[in-house]
Amino acid sequence: MNISLKRITSTWIITILLLFFTAIILGITMRFNQGKVISIDDGKFYGIMTTHGMTMIAIWAVAGMVGVHYLLSRYINVGAGLSKFAFIMTVIGVAMFYVTTFIGHFHAGWTFLYPLPFKNSFAWESWATPMFFWSLTVLGVGWLVWSVGLLVAIFKKYSFSQTFAWQHLTKKDPEVQTPPLVLISAISLVGIVLCLLTAVVILVLSFAEIYSDGKFVNDPLLMKNLIYFFGHTIANESLYLGLGIVYELMPEISGRPKFKTTWYVALGWNFTLLFVLTAYFHHLYMDFVQPLGLQMFGQFASYFASIPSAVVTIISIIVLLYGHRIKWTITNLLFFIGITGWIIGGVGALIDSTISNNIFLHNTLWVPAHFHTYNALGNVLLILGFFTWVANEFSGSQTDPMRKLKLALLIIGGFGFVLMFYCGGAESVPRRYSVYPAEFTRAALFASAAAWFAIIYLLGMSLIFVDIFKKCIRVYSSSHSDSSVA
Amino acid sequence: MKGQEFVLVLFLVCAIAISLISFLIYKSTIKASSEDGAGIKNPLKKRLYFLLLWGGVLIIIMSVTIPKSPYFMYTEQTPTMVINVQAMQYAFIMTDETENPTFEIPAGKMVEFRVTSNDVTHGFAVYNPNNVLVTQTQAMPGYVNKLRWVFDEPGKYNILCTEFCGIGHATQTGSMRSDFIVK
Repeated sequence: MNISLKRITSTWIITILLLFFTAIILGITMRFNQGKVISIDDGKFYGIMTTHGMTMIAIWAVAGMVGVHYLLSRYINVGAGLSKFAFIMTVIGVAMFYVTTFIGHFHAGWTFLYPLPFKNSFAWESWATPMFFWSLTVLGVGWLVWSVGLLVAIFKKYSFSQTFAWQHLTKKDPEVQTPPLVLISAISLVGIVLCLLTAVVILVLSFAEIYSDGKFVNDPLLMKNLIYFFGHTIANESLYLGLGIVYELMPEISGRPKFKTTWYVALGWNFTLLFVLTAYFHHLYMDFVQPLGLQMFGQFASYFASIPSAVVTIISIIVLLYGHRIKWTITNLLFFIGITGWIIGGVGALIDSTISNNIFLHNTLWVPAHFHTYNALGNVLLILGFFTWVANEFSGSQTDPMRKLKLALLIIGGFGFVLMFYCGGAESVPRRYSVYPAEFTRAALFASAAAWFAIIYLLGMSLIFVDIFKKCIRVYSSSHSDSSVA
Repeated sequence: MKGQEFVLVLFLVCAIAISLISFLIYKSTIKASSEDGAGIKNPLKKRLYFLLLWGGVLIIIMSVTIPKSPYFMYTEQTPTMVINVQAMQYAFIMTDETENPTFEIPAGKMVEFRVTSNDVTHGFAVYNPNNVLVTQTQAMPGYVNKLRWVFDEPGKYNILCTEFCGIGHATQTGSMRSDFIVK
């Protein structure tokens, strides 16, 4: 393994986890404010909300990229250059973004729903809106180059049809086998490229409005479609990257035969691309002017997105594990718990994506409930599983201290935290309120309880981070290029 | 049982069942005598059954729930009353067809809200006297969303914003009318 790739991977991991801690602390601050334990003014609250959301989306998107980049180097020739370039652009983009929120007081939310960024100049500095869009531009360029670069590297080894495993649809044992990691990474990368290209359109339209002195004005419905296509797709593709990592590592770590791409795995993941690109319509259910056909397709795509990725993956994992003696480590336990959390979050998402439920759940606390479930208890754990595995690779050490305590803290803290959101959603509490109106009598209690549960989760995460950090920094002091630096 | 309570119970039952199944799978890996344990027999056939079962469940749920979507409600009826709603940072203005402020809505009759915004996107969410969200739509500048509803329960209904609209989002129950009485 290329030492340069190891070092940039290690740098990414430490940076991602530090930003994750920061974002969790911002989240805890918000919940304590909503719980009336502390009091911060509304402008600061929404600045924190915007920073929390954008940081989480950014780090877990790149975390999946870091994982698949590292593991793809087993199959394709891909160096560290793309990852280094993306890292530099991400650091610059995130720094610019933090300037807009912490100094410029920009607080339009990470979804920056049009035309809010353009209509609130009295609440934040006038330079903050263009700088926000420039920070997105820097992040977007870094990630687009990275995603396209990885796809190009895959296409150098595999033909187009082989990349998407189409040969598995017609032959049981084709001459060229597409590894599941390659298939899932390619499917996810195509989705990421498409949503980043959409982000380019959003940025061009936004800059046109900013720099035309009011002569050019955008259409709110078009912008909402574009923004949610981008936001929904990147959040979902991040998760799929995590699943690609699980397909690659779970059998290896568990002492079971590697997953092979079969016709149903190939078919399922090809359909995933179609469904994930169209499921975003569920974000616009309450916009009745949206064409009816798109609303209907939104529920169809949201439902049937669960078949290819979720059901195929779930059954593959059950078949892999059930009734076989498994050597459990922190890595495959994190994968296993992460898959469970992802499915539970998926149930919450399916309930919300039913139009007749959405009318009373839309933008209540049910929404953060389900996406925190499949992020904090799903994707984060899948990626952490990769981090623990790769840290062991870097250090050559397999130590795994306080494993039960770490996992217990994550499970108790994580599920307690999201349960408070679900209870709030069931009581019709709106999301994104800095303080709750008095008539929501239990909302503050749910919020402060959620903050304490989040602290428990953070403790578990800290214990895991200390171990990962100690192992990852050893990669900088070595010039070896073999699989271990110890 | 109101919709919100039903979905919470449904979610919790599913979450507990999924956790239990995961635990049983985990236990099976501890009890197994060897790495090449018995495992699952005929996995391909079982996978197909599960896929068909899940697909069938989804189709049934869709066929039951889609007709209950707000787009199909009361489409054949003529509204007893039309209320124009103008959302803004940070208030809602509700007027009738003669542009007089509207404070009262007849119980048991279908009314139509024509909802728009004069600045950013807002959420127009109607809470019943028990503080339960009963219906909503978005207030988007340049567009008018038509929300049709029948309020059976008399009492005071509050309007809250459910789309983040800026620093005053949580206090959109401002000085202008943000409630109405159903009589």
